[in-house]
Amino acid sequence: MTRLIAAPPAKENAVADAFPTTSGVLAMANLRAQIEGQEREAVAGRLTVIGQAGLIALIALRGHVLGCIADYDRAEALAEQLARNAPSDPDAFLARARTRAMFHRFSHALTDLDSAQRHGANPRTVNAERAAIFQAIGQYEQALTIYNEAVKRRPDFNSFGDLATLHAERGQIAAAENCFTESRKRYRGASPIPLAQLDFKRAQMWIAHHNLQRAHMWLDAALHRLPQYAPAQGHLAEVEAALGETDSAIARLRPLASSSDDPDYASQLARILGAVGRFDEASEWRDRAAARYDELLEKKLERFADHAAEFWLEAGADPHRALWLAEKNLEVRPTRRACELVARATHPVMVHARADLTTSML
Amino acid sequence: MSDHGSGPRALADPTVDIADMFVFPSPERSGALVLVLNVFPFAGPTARFSDVVDYRFRIRPVSVAARRARASFGVSDKEYTFSCRFAATAAGNGSHVVQEGACSAPNGETVSFRVNDDAGIKGKTLRVFAGKRMDPFFFDGPAVLQSVATRSLAFTKPGTSTVFHQNVLSIVIEFEVLTMFSIGDGPLFAVVGETATAGAPTNRLERFGRPDVKNVVMFPQDFDPLNRDLELREQYNQEDAFALGPAYLAAYHSRMNANLAFWDRLDGKIDWPLDADGGHPLTELLLADFMVVDVSKPFADDSFFEIERMMLKGTPHKTCGGRALDADCMGTFMTVFVNGGNGARISHGIDGPAVTASRTFPYLVPPEPNPPKPKRPALAPSKEGAHP
Repeated sequence: MTRLIAAPPAKENAVADAFPTTSGVLAMANLRAQIEGQEREAVAGRLTVIGQAGLIALIALRGHVLGCIADYDRAEALAEQLARNAPSDPDAFLARARTRAMFHRFSHALTDLDSAQRHGANPRTVNAERAAIFQAIGQYEQALTIYNEAVKRRPDFNSFGDLATLHAERGQIAAAENCFTESRKRYRGASPIPLAQLDFKRAQMWIAHHNLQRAHMWLDAALHRLPQYAPAQGHLAEVEAALGETDSAIARLRPLASSSDDPDYASQLARILGAVGRFDEASEWRDRAAARYDELLEKKLERFADHAAEFWLEAGADPHRALWLAEKNLEVRPTRRACELVARATHPVMVHARADLTTSML
Repeated sequence: MSDHGSGPRALADPTVDIADMFVFPSPERSGALVLVLNVFPFAGPTARFSDVVDYRFRIRPVSVAARRARASFGVSDKEYTFSCRFAATAAGNGSHVVQEGACSAPNGETVSFRVNDDAGIKGKTLRVFAGKRMDPFFFDGPAVLQSVATRSLAFTKPGTSTVFHQNVLSIVIEFEVLTMFSIGDGPLFAVVGETATAGAPTNRLERFGRPDVKNVVMFPQDFDPLNRDLELREQYNQEDAFALGPAYLAAYHSRMNANLAFWDRLDGKIDWPLDADGGHPLTELLLADFMVVDVSKPFADDSFFEIERMMLKGTPHKTCGGRALDADCMGTFMTVFVNGGNGARISHGIDGPAVTASRTFPYLVPPEPNPPKPKRPALAPSKEGAHP
């Protein structure tokens, strides 16, 4: 996550939105119940290929909401297995494409999408998946064409939500805000998860554009619906820290850093603790995050390069390693954010190099 | 499967996903009718009802408006509604969480109950149970997909039930007909089960009238000459069963005409000749997607769709219609679709539910206890195909 600067307060009040959704606690218990029920069927061999693809999507969704990398890993393993078991089924390729994209294996994911289409997958479904990958690797125009077509054909929660995140990523704030609002208006469901995800993406946009109040508001909205939403908790802690609400940020992060297998939370906690002078505690969390990043990078460099670069750039205090990882990330996804990360990682390395040069000249 | 996963929204949120609905005379009490709404297919141990969803039965008096090829019902504007709501807060943790609920009846009585209380609750004029039960549905869904893919009937003996020993969340309401409906209404009533967001504005999320109308009759897209790439079930779910909107009516007709004609062709003969406009004789009857019950007639083993079948034949019906828990409704439907009753009954290879229904309230058998914990992370190879 980039460093944050406070901005004037926003006038909107997202939390005042009264659209009712199922309580977050019930929704997460039900997600678990849904996964457990379908796993029984899968193990018994009674789940169709598309049913298995659905199960994989549910496991990945739980991984996202709870910040659980083990769930992502499991979804990936199941998708690989499904593609082996059903080598001519388009839904198996679609499922694997999604998990490969999740782990930033974008070229492999695109190959899977081609295979899915060759085996009869609906071209619109495949194109929607392609668009998400195009967006992730910075091919915005191609993504925009597909998203615009989707909105034109079916202007619903999903199509406007996709378009909103693309505009947000391109820095087109007004267009993004409009699409976020249109998407929200079109939500027809009882589950809090899709709305919380949408509000979270909106908050990410405002974080990227340094408007902390608006980011805070949308993160509050997301967490109001889904208190267990780990990435939203993590980002809110970051916003709170930037606003000077350090105690709240630390209290929010500590349970996440302790329980999650995603080192991002330990990394954030280390940085915030370090910033307020609690160096011993910071060091403990930094070591924990470093060890976990090492573990993850060994297995999935592409997936974790960007977050690990952020870690070594800040709490990890190893700018050379940060730059190397930022460059690796840029190779995989040449987006504006990836370029900015390289630029940020380059600066301390140059400063060090200049300092070394000065020292040697003395 | 009956209505399990009937569209993207249902697949994404099982709390609104209606799996099934049953309407039958009480086996315990003469003059009483039982309504069952099952949601949350493949319910795991922690499954709960949503606290923002209205789980409801909408009931309207109907009459037979026409028989034979143009068989149809006349539907009254008068409506009776049973509505069930559930609380968000619950005591306990994990699978032992206790959830409270309340059911309001059209006669004004409201009863509160505790989810998973096996005995249910008895009010003055109604009994209510809500909680986990074993899914009573049985049908070889994968064989339907195979039939669509191969263009030939693919049922085997035995068939494969995709919900065998699976659990659902059930709502069971039993009431005395005379205490609930006005004198002069009936004896024919049309019942629709719905999930909708509670409060205002309310959005209909799912509806159910007859089994597998969405997953067998609406789901295949290949035969549709108009909208081959359109998933219609999502839109269909949001429609008012008693008053379909005009926007998608042509699309529904096109899809149903094409798919019903496909099923009819599978025995090598045409039992349902299309009209001059390509209309299938069953389309209008099935688009009136509600379950019709005659509270004045007795239950019989072949009650399911008997009222409609007799309407198509042009003779008076003899049974209560509706649908009982053990009824082989899909055998009946496949027979109607494929040979119009002009041949042997079509078997899908499964003769009954995993466990026979109980004769005592709440009639659905208890949930599968201690479901086996799956080994991780293996998935077994499965029958290929999409999700019916």
